[in-house]
Amino acid sequence: MQATPSRSEEEVLGNEAFDALLWSLSRPGQVRTLPTAGETALISALLDRECAASCDDPLLIPAIMQTGAAVADIAMADHVFLGQSANPARLKGVRLGSDLYPDDGATVIVRGQIGSGRGLTLKGPGVDGALDIQLNGISAEFWQTRKTLIRYPMGFDLFVLDGSKVMGLPRSTNVEVL
Amino acid sequence: MAYVATRGGEAAIDQSERLFREEMGEITPTRIEEVKAALPYLIDRVMGEASLYDEDLAALALAQTGGELYEAVLLLRAWRTTQPRLSIAKPVEQDGLFTHRRISAAFKDVPGGQTLGPTLDYAHRILATNVLRGETFVPPAVVLADKPAKAHLPSVSAWQAENDLVDLPQPDATDGNDIPDLTREPLLFPSKRAHTLQSLARSETGSALALGYAAMRGYGQAHPTVNEVRLSEAEIVVDHPDGRSFSAGRVKISQAEVVDKKGEKLSLGFTATFGWNEVKCIAGATLDLNAPGAEKGSATEEEFFLYHTEGVESSGFCIHFKLPHYVTFQSSLDAMRDAKAKKAAERVAAKTKHQSEPAE
Amino acid sequence: MTLSKLTKPWEAMSYGFIDGSAKREMRRKMLKAVAVPGCQMPYASREVPMARGWGTGGLQVSLTLVKPTTRVKVIDQGADDSVNAASIRRFIASVAGTPTTLDTLEADLIQSRHRIPEEIMCEDQILVLQVPNPEPLRGVQPNMSIARQMHADADYGRMWLQLYEQIVRSGRVMQGASYPSLVHGRHVMTPSPIPRWDVPKLHMSRHLTILSAGREKRIFAVPPFTRVEPLVFDDVPYQVEDHAGLTCYRSGAKGFFMNEIPQDDGSSVYEVSDSEWGVKAIRAKDGEDVIQGETWYKDGEMPQ
Repeated sequence: MQATPSRSEEEVLGNEAFDALLWSLSRPGQVRTLPTAGETALISALLDRECAASCDDPLLIPAIMQTGAAVADIAMADHVFLGQSANPARLKGVRLGSDLYPDDGATVIVRGQIGSGRGLTLKGPGVDGALDIQLNGISAEFWQTRKTLIRYPMGFDLFVLDGSKVMGLPRSTNVEVL
Repeated sequence: MAYVATRGGEAAIDQSERLFREEMGEITPTRIEEVKAALPYLIDRVMGEASLYDEDLAALALAQTGGELYEAVLLLRAWRTTQPRLSIAKPVEQDGLFTHRRISAAFKDVPGGQTLGPTLDYAHRILATNVLRGETFVPPAVVLADKPAKAHLPSVSAWQAENDLVDLPQPDATDGNDIPDLTREPLLFPSKRAHTLQSLARSETGSALALGYAAMRGYGQAHPTVNEVRLSEAEIVVDHPDGRSFSAGRVKISQAEVVDKKGEKLSLGFTATFGWNEVKCIAGATLDLNAPGAEKGSATEEEFFLYHTEGVESSGFCIHFKLPHYVTFQSSLDAMRDAKAKKAAERVAAKTKHQSEPAE
Repeated sequence: MTLSKLTKPWEAMSYGFIDGSAKREMRRKMLKAVAVPGCQMPYASREVPMARGWGTGGLQVSLTLVKPTTRVKVIDQGADDSVNAASIRRFIASVAGTPTTLDTLEADLIQSRHRIPEEIMCEDQILVLQVPNPEPLRGVQPNMSIARQMHADADYGRMWLQLYEQIVRSGRVMQGASYPSLVHGRHVMTPSPIPRWDVPKLHMSRHLTILSAGREKRIFAVPPFTRVEPLVFDDVPYQVEDHAGLTCYRSGAKGFFMNEIPQDDGSSVYEVSDSEWGVKAIRAKDGEDVIQGETWYKDGEMPQ
């Protein structure tokens, strides 16, 4: 048997980032820490030449391109980076998948401030009863649009990034604005 | 109970593997060379089913598994998983193939001619038992023809298309990385054309034959005529980073076109694979020919035959039944006993009730 | 661009055997599986150095998740010493350098075939279940495309009919293991061939469960705090195996799922199926200092 292969830097980054992403998406509203601040760790963990990403923040485009992923129109994208804006109008173009293939629904990544601002109540899988959280930088209209768009199991899944903090909100989560 | 037992389990599997390997004996570079030289058609079959073209690795896989074909193919597929995809070769056209053998059953003669090439088709199948008595079998020398056969031949379907007998599939401009790759995405239905052809290319020969044969015997709608069977070599043309294209070598491929004769035009079925494997190509092309409009759940329906000709999956699942299943068995026994007890209780209750009723 | 930029230094294999692109695909699909609990997500499913049907789906999940500090436990039929469990454990350890354990409480990741351990799993643990057939509708509809459409339409009428017919014919639901269950009130899934005893352990649990079928190329998940409800009629309650009253002849443990061991005289004895739980019971009986975790079942009953 050959010696145990060692981990490349890319593997370490991807593995640790995914740890945080999987944990946080499994427990909506609870915060995990990514190995680096911002979108880079997530991009490294998830994106490659099999992916198409839409990106509203031009600063992220080089990192996305480097993975081999195509930069695409929002309607074609499996990963949507909204950056700082969290513009609710943009959500309307996001891929929702189908009842037949819910996995075609996109993953949306947006920045916000976790732990302050607007109060939200979360319910659904991964939440023990109900959970109250606070999120700043994402409008009430954004949550309203999300609710209108998601027709479970069709929908999109959301990651909110705040520096190196990450929160996951899958389509199965019911979000009420307080 | 546990610590000893655990070591016992690990020691047992270690020793059982040793037993197998001891019987195979030493594997040397010489043995690999011998396997490669002596069994080219077996190497071809394994490379085709593994969808990995490397004669040395295929010979190594055969040597390492003692010729257990399913194991050999699995070894190669697992090795393939670890390899990065560096480049994507240019598509090859049929008339660009370096052809060794190309025959058509549809016409007495075809443009480019019938080229028999190497085959056992007309050999009398007699064992050369003299070899076992110590003699050497020396193959009689091949006498060269006056005129060499053409190396590059158009497909028979190209002539048929010119004569409006068949509609060829629309050329697919999908290129390079955009070509759907069965090994990197799941097979879903209705299947992408690329996935269907890739799946047939790596199908297990015996399974493709079994289902193809069922279709030929009448379980399919279409009766195949072999438009052409071809054994050839294809250039692997890749791009150098400096922009030029170059040939990285040739690979042996085989292919079959079969046609059905219903309606006003011929319809086509096609299969190609790595290595020379005529049976698989004809059987696969027959399945492909029968697929359009096939009834759900029939052997000629795409979902049915693509799933069930996947040799690594089918053989793996088959041998997995050797694994312990005592938990599921226990669970079923429980339901069975309970149902039996319920029935018995009902009978007793019915009897009691019957007895307590006054006679009329 | 040069050739050397396109290539990478040669190595016999990547960390954890499967390469970066395969891992990224697994990660993307795992996230989707968590986002739609119980819904089967198709994935490419690479070939690994084990035969299909021998845990290759679970293995690909484990290999994607592990890092050198992940403590791995592998069980088959509840036992750590089952030969295939031993083989998978040895493989993961050798390609990923992970420490291994037999103790459910110590494990970060548990890969299992056909059982969920008896000790309650906590939120930092992940359970990976090997799945031979991911399609609960296979019995009523072998065609995968049609079955997928039935899931899309939440059309489970034939499934219900089958259960009803069993009750009419046999007086009870005859499904042994793999009991079909409704997840988050939307998708019917197979919990993998775990006994009925184990299905309630998936309901509103604290840990994440990932179910993966390598040969059939489907992955699905049950996140923590997710409803997993076995399909039952209001007037015919869900019935786990009648093991609550059985006692393990080796450890004396009582009220857990058992293996029945036939005896020469025609009778049977029983041993606890979760082998490490049995070991703990024996060691505790011998006066050793052993930590026995809280169990899902208490006195043979699963608290509601």
